[in-house]
Amino acid sequence: MNKRNKIFTIFAIILLGIVLFLMNLFVGSVTIPFGDILDVLLKDNVDNKLTTIILNYRLPQAVTAMLAGAGLAVSGLLMQTLFRNPLADPSMLGISSGASLGVGIVILFTGAISGTAVSSFGWWSTIGVSFAAFVGAVAVLFVILAFNSRTKNMTTLIIIGLMIAYLASSITDILKFFSQKEDIHAFVIWGMGSFSAVGTSKLVILSISVLIGLIASVFLSKNLNVLLLGEMYAENLGMNIKRNSLIIILISGYLTAIVTAYCGPVAFVGLAVPHIARFLFKSSDHRLLIPMTMLIGTDLTLFCNMIARMPGFDGNLPINAVTAFIGAPVVIAVILKGNKVVR
Amino acid sequence: MEVLKIKSLSIGYEGKIISSDINVSLNEGDMVALVGPNGAGKSTLFKTLSGNIKPISGKIMFNGHDLSVISPKERAKILSVVLTTRPDDMFLKVFDVVAAGRYPYVGMFGKLSENDERTIEESLDVIGVKELKNRLFNTLSDGERQKVMIAKAIAQNTPIIFLDEPSAFLDYPSKIELFSILKTLAVEKKKTIIFSTHDLELLLRYTDNLWVMAKNKHFVAGKCHDLLESDIIKDYFSLKDIDNEWLKK
Repeated sequence: MNKRNKIFTIFAIILLGIVLFLMNLFVGSVTIPFGDILDVLLKDNVDNKLTTIILNYRLPQAVTAMLAGAGLAVSGLLMQTLFRNPLADPSMLGISSGASLGVGIVILFTGAISGTAVSSFGWWSTIGVSFAAFVGAVAVLFVILAFNSRTKNMTTLIIIGLMIAYLASSITDILKFFSQKEDIHAFVIWGMGSFSAVGTSKLVILSISVLIGLIASVFLSKNLNVLLLGEMYAENLGMNIKRNSLIIILISGYLTAIVTAYCGPVAFVGLAVPHIARFLFKSSDHRLLIPMTMLIGTDLTLFCNMIARMPGFDGNLPINAVTAFIGAPVVIAVILKGNKVVR
Repeated sequence: MEVLKIKSLSIGYEGKIISSDINVSLNEGDMVALVGPNGAGKSTLFKTLSGNIKPISGKIMFNGHDLSVISPKERAKILSVVLTTRPDDMFLKVFDVVAAGRYPYVGMFGKLSENDERTIEESLDVIGVKELKNRLFNTLSDGERQKVMIAKAIAQNTPIIFLDEPSAFLDYPSKIELFSILKTLAVEKKKTIIFSTHDLELLLRYTDNLWVMAKNKHFVAGKCHDLLESDIIKDYFSLKDIDNEWLKK
């Protein structure tokens, strides 16, 4: 790809993001004229009801979608490069399963003991769920890091990660078996993913947390590029393989943990977006790929969130159903087109 | 000038010694072939010398510095490798592969300086693959990939280069071209080159120095001629039924 095309493509991705962001404010069960939306964003003293809908619901949801998209996409790219496996994604090392287990314990287990459904506690339960998901994800992350310090072999680590994922989900299933019907329902809903659970107050925490991870990932590009040659070459070139994989897993796992804690286990974005970026730019240079996966991830989740919120769905369509439904054809199209050029 | 000195080195993996009591040294511009049957420990020796695995005992000295106290980053400026494994990323360009050789020299974000860019261009030029610069690495032939990996090693700008079976998978003309390139690097660029190979008859035309390894046998270093005069080659390769007269010619 020459420089002009590259700049044009980057510009198009950013423009698409801006349009999708505005569409996210526009689309919803309540129809608000576009002019009023601009009024709410740019002026003071507009109709209170509209301000509430846009600033308290639609705007946080759009920003949450962007953060989740960027975070998960970068997390997936890091995993794919570290394991040099095109099927790697943020859930690979069992980190999302750990989050599920954490949520499972809070929602299901406490319900089973106290005899009342935790999901009936309302606002407190959303805080509890985020916290439990984060603790579960981080717990698995530390187990993985402990294994990482014992082995240089990435295949071993993938298998251990998969086994931990199975272990966590089987414990979750056992918990489910002993739980209240309402709690299981709440758990299933959480598992479908949503960008709407983050209110304005929590949005600040989510933004800062995700941005820290995203900025950290930018510093990895040099090492990720050299990793493409294989670990043996990277080691000869002076890279500390163990420390490097520790940092990559830490950042990738951290991003997954944060996003999963607030949005549930959002599937597909982390797997698909790095491929879209690679094939779109025909590049494996992480100095380009890392920012581009952030932007494309943002576009994808904004689009999916808009679809999920179309009038008629009333914001109830689970985000996981939409991400794969929209994303899979895009990935297939991009890969087929890219292959034609490569061969 | 002596660049590499190995003193009573034992190599192997945890609890399993593959070869012991290796004593040898090399000078600037030396080109040496490491030969031995499969499983003799050639790759283990390479991995040990390049710092991938630790020696069981003994010392490896580069330019008078002990390998065990050299930082990985400093080691990367002394010694480069060309391995049997190849990068397989779909969109990795030839330029990117050679640019990776500059890793020990570039800053935090991997931005190439003008000097780095020049070194990369020169490295591609020395090997004669300048025209491949913008090609995708994955679409090259085996011979071309091998040359690009050697260009990477040259871009790394190290006095010593290791090549693990560089002539495997190559057709005959490509093998000759490869050995000529290595010879040129040794003679003109004063690189110290160590390569393992099974192409015995071919290497004799390009190098005088031979390292011989075999399972449960001592490491032997010497001149090709002397080693072939003795029965060591025959013995080490278990060529009991094959006459090695043709080797002596």
